[in-house]
Amino acid sequence: MIDLINSSPAFTAFFCFFICAFTYEIGLWLNRKTGLIILNPQLIAIGLTILILILLNINYTVFDGGANLMNVFLTPITVVLAVPIYKQIHLLKANALPIIIGAGVGSITSMVTVYLLCKAFHINEMVYTSLLAKSVTTPIGIEVSKQLGGIPSITIIAIIITGIFGGMAAPWLCRFFKIKNAIARGVAIGTCSHAMGTASAIEMGEAEGAMSGLAIGIAGLITIILALLIPW
Amino acid sequence: MTLTKPFNLIRELTILFGICLAAKLIANIMPFTMPANILGMVLLFVLLCTKVIKTEHINATSDFLLHNMAFFFIASGISLMDSFVLIKDTVLIFLFICLFSTVVTFAATAYTVTLVTHIQKCLLAKKAIKTLKEAHHD
Repeated sequence: MIDLINSSPAFTAFFCFFICAFTYEIGLWLNRKTGLIILNPQLIAIGLTILILILLNINYTVFDGGANLMNVFLTPITVVLAVPIYKQIHLLKANALPIIIGAGVGSITSMVTVYLLCKAFHINEMVYTSLLAKSVTTPIGIEVSKQLGGIPSITIIAIIITGIFGGMAAPWLCRFFKIKNAIARGVAIGTCSHAMGTASAIEMGEAEGAMSGLAIGIAGLITIILALLIPW
Repeated sequence: MTLTKPFNLIRELTILFGICLAAKLIANIMPFTMPANILGMVLLFVLLCTKVIKTEHINATSDFLLHNMAFFFIASGISLMDSFVLIKDTVLIFLFICLFSTVVTFAATAYTVTLVTHIQKCLLAKKAIKTLKEAHHD
């Protein structure tokens, strides 16, 4: 099988897709069975796939070549984020100012906090430039990270950790900070923990979910603009 | 009847990939770096707002992609295999930075939205009182 992986690109592509999809299904099943947020399907799939690759002694460059089938979809995925924003355009129009200022302040806060913490802990530059975009949705985070000279894979891991934590902690954070306004809740969840947090915002209510979805796109755009403006 | 569905899917993919293609082309001729992903998102948003494209035209594909977003990022996450060495010594600090900044970001965003909404309401109320008073004087 190893010979086939090294010699046939089509075989490698099937193999990579199959491993990712199969481990993701296992993750989904485990998550459904246990109901534990920490058993995130994405995290399980990444862990199991790495384990399988190590056991089969396949190195990452070979895998990455085969994973093109999935990577090609990263652009259309970001593009379709425009659809939920368009569908909720009435909510955006009615609360444009609070949403945009809120997501803007949140995005700046996120980047400044990460920067200060990294300075305080003497984290090396490659790692902290990768962490700056950790609160935005993955495709945007990857782009910002590349642009700032970070390592996209570190950004992805930080984004996933942030997302899982945000989703788990959202109801608790709302209670702790005494946030009752649905728009404030939604925008805050979307700005600090992107799509993974949005899942838990949807459970709180329709307005929270809509606002959170909207905040993903707005916070992403603001972070992109900030990254363009800041000459690091 | 069953045959019409796959044809619609091809049309949806044509529209979506067409936007991606246009976005990549625009990104190439832009004088500064702007991710094609974001350009594509803005492009689709403009096309939807101007009603050139209706959500029905891309509904099945966009629903599929939005609901399965997480899956497509697995391959990118596996690059951790090669880059884990970079954070190996600082895993706990790394976790702390991620969690702490998330809490701070949540609070900053939520309070800003509440504050701006409140100020907007106050200004609107003041305006209303003013017009009421003026109407009363007249």
